[in-house]
Amino acid sequence: MLCLGHKRINIHLSSTMVQVKVPPIPIDSNIGYVELKNNDIYFSKALLSHIGKSAKNKQITLDYFINTLIHKDDSNQFRNNYYSYIKNNLPFRQSMLILCKKGKYKEFVCTTNQNNINLNNTTSKFLFFNKRKLKTNKRINKHKFYYKETAEMTSAGSWYVDFVKRRSFWDQQARRILEYPEDYKPSINNAALYYPKEEFQRARRLFYKCSIGKPFDTEIKMLTKNNREFWVRAKGKPVFNDQKEIIGIRGVFQDIDVTKSKELSLQRTSNIIASQNKRLFNFAYIVSHNLRSHTSNLSLIVELMNAAKSNEEKLELMSSIEDITSSLNDTIEHLNEVVTIQTSANENRSPVTFSESLEHVKTSIGQIISKHRTTILSDFSEVDAIDYIPAYLESILLNLITNAIKYKHPQRDPIIKIGSYVENSRTVLEITDNGIGIDLEKFGGKLFGMYNTFHYNKDAVGIGLFITKNQVEALNGHIDVFSEVEKFTTFKITF
Amino acid sequence: MKNKLVELACIIDDDDIYINLIKRIIETKKLCENLIVFKNGKQSLDYFEALLQNLDYDKIPDIILIDLNMPIMDGWEFIEQFTKIKNRFNKAITLYVVSSSINPVDIDRAKSLNSIKDYLVKPVKIDQLETIFNASA
Repeated sequence: MLCLGHKRINIHLSSTMVQVKVPPIPIDSNIGYVELKNNDIYFSKALLSHIGKSAKNKQITLDYFINTLIHKDDSNQFRNNYYSYIKNNLPFRQSMLILCKKGKYKEFVCTTNQNNINLNNTTSKFLFFNKRKLKTNKRINKHKFYYKETAEMTSAGSWYVDFVKRRSFWDQQARRILEYPEDYKPSINNAALYYPKEEFQRARRLFYKCSIGKPFDTEIKMLTKNNREFWVRAKGKPVFNDQKEIIGIRGVFQDIDVTKSKELSLQRTSNIIASQNKRLFNFAYIVSHNLRSHTSNLSLIVELMNAAKSNEEKLELMSSIEDITSSLNDTIEHLNEVVTIQTSANENRSPVTFSESLEHVKTSIGQIISKHRTTILSDFSEVDAIDYIPAYLESILLNLITNAIKYKHPQRDPIIKIGSYVENSRTVLEITDNGIGIDLEKFGGKLFGMYNTFHYNKDAVGIGLFITKNQVEALNGHIDVFSEVEKFTTFKITF
Repeated sequence: MKNKLVELACIIDDDDIYINLIKRIIETKKLCENLIVFKNGKQSLDYFEALLQNLDYDKIPDIILIDLNMPIMDGWEFIEQFTKIKNRFNKAITLYVVSSSINPVDIDRAKSLNSIKDYLVKPVKIDQLETIFNASA
């Protein structure tokens, strides 16, 4: 190999010596560089002189260079960069400490491309080592070391947006966390790339508020260059000049994905447990109040039968047993419904259209609807379908419609308005009637409870709304109610 | 003992079957002269409030058996409202809770209230009923 008449240095990675014919390369001999070609690594003379080795020194293998000459804090990163450059052609830029003459470490910036050099004609790969011009003194070096260690160990990156120069800066750790290359230049114009869609607006608001003086401290999802979403804790504060004007925003963000994910999954688990516990309570309640009331009636009958003096008396009591068994059946069916919510919540969701479900419900209770001269007005133009368990949607519509008819106003025919829309990026279904309404202050807390009825109504059972609420919640939605006595009731389901 | 009967008993319960059975026991065992029945707390409270306007001692029960779980106004709310007005009747009215609930929370809550004489768990026994009616006679 010939380098503009300079002496050739061969350092072998493999034991076999490979002699290569190399075209002349227009590189200034004062530049430190390493040429990589066919598994061989060649050090330029300038670089060798920096590290105090002579051309004849053949012990400088790649391993020796990485493990001995590069400072141990930088060697791992360099090894990664080096191999991704060799294998995948990924360029990089890295600053590092290299052991030089007299056992002193000096700081170099290693880059894979040098703008002023035309390398188009070569098949070799080069790494350039430029000495840092600004000499960082020992104290700063020491501080820098601790800062780097802290940043690395806490996975915290820092950034600065300079309003005056209209530029953004990220530190090494920030780039690493966000999986951007060492020489990546961030820009506020690319901010949409750094956040998942649903978080970007919030991030923008936080930045805007910070730029007018309000610091922030929040947990937000970010997006790496490889489109991986992860949670960070982000803090930002305005930077002021001597005139007390805001000239930028400085901040840090810390990768908290592991803890946040744990927190979220814990929250989810706790929600599931809470709702299952609630159902269990309801179950216990039905068993305690309703099943027991039937069985206690049965026991009472048996006692009366034993005390009965005539056969007629006994026969009369027999007829009560019939009543009890039929109520007992109803209660057991209700119990079964409560349990079924639990098991079918795990069924697969599929796309369901609101209008289709409504038609099914209308057909199944057509008689009741026409008997009470009920008008049902529906508008699903904004959202016409959702992913849901079809049977649930029908059950929800059925319960709320029959509820509206059951509690219609005595002076007017029922009119039920059903509509869907989007609120906070969630689908909402709203059902409003013109019925007798309900005093929410008095009964609101019990409205969705099991076997709670509030009106003098013969067919009030107190199971419909309970089931509806449980179905909605089993699929992570919630149900709200608004009402005015004598006027209307609105049920709002957020899916 | 048999020569003195409870004049008037009051049952507040929404379970028709239970009411029929209790009625039958009261009739066959001749536990009281008269019986009034309400289907929930609200109905009975309305009755007692009307009584206060026009005190008629024949219409004030000596004994009330109340269920806890009822529509519109449950047993708890009735007990709370009734406790406020019961001293104005100038007559001892004994209040028993008769419920199918075996929930310790319900039982403890009932026992902690002074206005409640006792908590009976359904099914009530015939001799249990005899005992409490005789105690009020």
